[in-house]
Amino acid sequence: MSAIVIEHLARVEGHGGITVELEGDTVTNVRFDVFEGARLLEPLVKGKRYDEIASILSRICSICSASHTLTSLKATEKAFGIRVSPQTEMLRELLLRGENIESHALHLFLLAIPDYLNYPSGIALAADKPAAVLLGLRLKKLGNLIQEIVGGRAVHPVNCVVGGFGKAPAVDQLIELRTGLMQAVADSDAVIDVMASLPAADFCHSETFYAALRSPNLDTYYGGDEVMVVSNGNRAIVAAEDYRSLTNEQPVAHSHAKHSLFRGSPFMVGSLARLTVNPRRLTGKLAVAMKRLKLALPADNPMDNNKAQALELINDVERSLEIIEQLLREGVRDERALPVQPRAGKGTAITEAPRGLLIHSYEYDADGRIISADVITPTALNAASMELHFRRAVEQCVEREEAVIARRLGMIARAYDPCVSCSVHLMRKR
Amino acid sequence: MILNCEDRLLDLVALIDIRDFLMASSENQTGCKLDIALVEGAVLSKRDAATLKAIRERSRLLIALGSCAVWGGVAAMDRGADRHQLLEEVYGETGLTYDSTHAQALHELVKVDFNITGCPIEKDHFLAAVAALLNGDLPLYPEYPVCTECRMRENNCLLIERGLPCCGPVTVAGCEARCPDLRVPCIGCRGPIGDANPASLLEVLEQRGFDRRQVVARLRTFAPEEVRL
Repeated sequence: MSAIVIEHLARVEGHGGITVELEGDTVTNVRFDVFEGARLLEPLVKGKRYDEIASILSRICSICSASHTLTSLKATEKAFGIRVSPQTEMLRELLLRGENIESHALHLFLLAIPDYLNYPSGIALAADKPAAVLLGLRLKKLGNLIQEIVGGRAVHPVNCVVGGFGKAPAVDQLIELRTGLMQAVADSDAVIDVMASLPAADFCHSETFYAALRSPNLDTYYGGDEVMVVSNGNRAIVAAEDYRSLTNEQPVAHSHAKHSLFRGSPFMVGSLARLTVNPRRLTGKLAVAMKRLKLALPADNPMDNNKAQALELINDVERSLEIIEQLLREGVRDERALPVQPRAGKGTAITEAPRGLLIHSYEYDADGRIISADVITPTALNAASMELHFRRAVEQCVEREEAVIARRLGMIARAYDPCVSCSVHLMRKR
Repeated sequence: MILNCEDRLLDLVALIDIRDFLMASSENQTGCKLDIALVEGAVLSKRDAATLKAIRERSRLLIALGSCAVWGGVAAMDRGADRHQLLEEVYGETGLTYDSTHAQALHELVKVDFNITGCPIEKDHFLAAVAALLNGDLPLYPEYPVCTECRMRENNCLLIERGLPCCGPVTVAGCEARCPDLRVPCIGCRGPIGDANPASLLEVLEQRGFDRRQVVARLRTFAPEEVRL
């Protein structure tokens, strides 16, 4: 028996590795190893009051802290029967767009693109191709600026509370954002130029199940309550309350991340899944860009997630601009957060975090204290699918040189944009 | 937060020689001596403890970055609980096989030369540290409570005037009172000020009808071992 081991996966958030075991040419075992320590935050929030939950559970992850915060608030508001104002909903959607812009720009330009061009890092890439890296940094900064202005801080937003916001952004701040976003719209073609210029990454093909939020208007990260799973022309709908049928996860000894299967099959979440589940979004400029990137849906190549992120990046910029135009047109009201009347009950919320479906499910007592909390993150949902794609890549690799295989495995892992720190502490016994 | 210094990032990497940064680069020098090591996160396993000790041995200065590294952070809330029971609750029996220890701040295991606190850290504090160190100096950070900065921003007091559970009086400043400025009470994410008087804050909140146990837990969210009540 031989093994290919990537002990420490580079250029991903958190600490993980990959192990592939072979018997001759046959792959016998594949593992995505997670070494992040278990923080056990779910049991630790038990007994905490509703106004503390989002700020503690957002600490699961610094990159998608806005998603954790808003998913948490949405779950709590559902449990208490609170319906936030339309302005709050718009600002929350804008905040998640900002987070997605920041996360995708960071991932594509500093973590993923260096792979295609054989650079060890975005910093090394900047020495030879400063324009591409500066473009990425500009978009990343814009995403952070949206989060600072709407959420009060780029990481772990402080302005979002149960029932709304501490303070709505001021008109001059929205105008500042509009200026930045208009510049970014002008940068959209350059993003697609960079992506279209990359060499093809064509070394892993596999039939794939995709799962994403099915949104009423086909294009939202915050709204919507149903997940659609798509595979090979078949589709299934899962309501938020039934999320466990999507995540019948099992703890595994090699990782602190649970593994999820839907009807026995691994599934992929994230940008590529979102575009596959809601393909009617892909019109106009996005359709043209999709053609330039040679992306066909449903895709059978996990590397296409990078192309999907690029499409979302330019779409998020446009959607953010639309939200700001609407806010400026209608006027931003200095709303206070709605009063909160706690009540006993359960609330389950699903949103689209940059890396895919994020689920928070809580049960509260009558005083508004947590009885139980369950958090399921996209990287955990993706773990089984990643392992399947690692296996296919090794099987489909004609060359048996370990460095070639290891490079491909690393590229697939990074295409999933895994957040290893997120994936931890979300497996639970059934 | 380091990667969030977008405007300064390329200038920054020209000034310093980054030898080992796995999250940003796939080529690293994992064995060489280091002038400065920046370490994020709490220690949560034997593997983490061994990694931290190895970093300490190869570094002249070790800087704890962020509230988890400095104080233990939110995961250290379990210090009073039965770790095995929690592991079993979340992961089932498999959990008992994990390499998992209760969360510890870096200074509990190795000598830490200085702290940059916050959850997350303020990026200006990081840049100030780099600038100071390049000049052979150590950075200076505020040693007064969030209330001082909140007063300078002329905010109404959330604690006294609105009776909200604000941790500002016992939390170290440096954030420009970001939360109370947005009418949101401070949750103490930067950790306690050196001469904090949490007993007095507890008394004020108890007078306003808050449950003692809840307030104690709230004050201990980010630095459970430091806030003794």
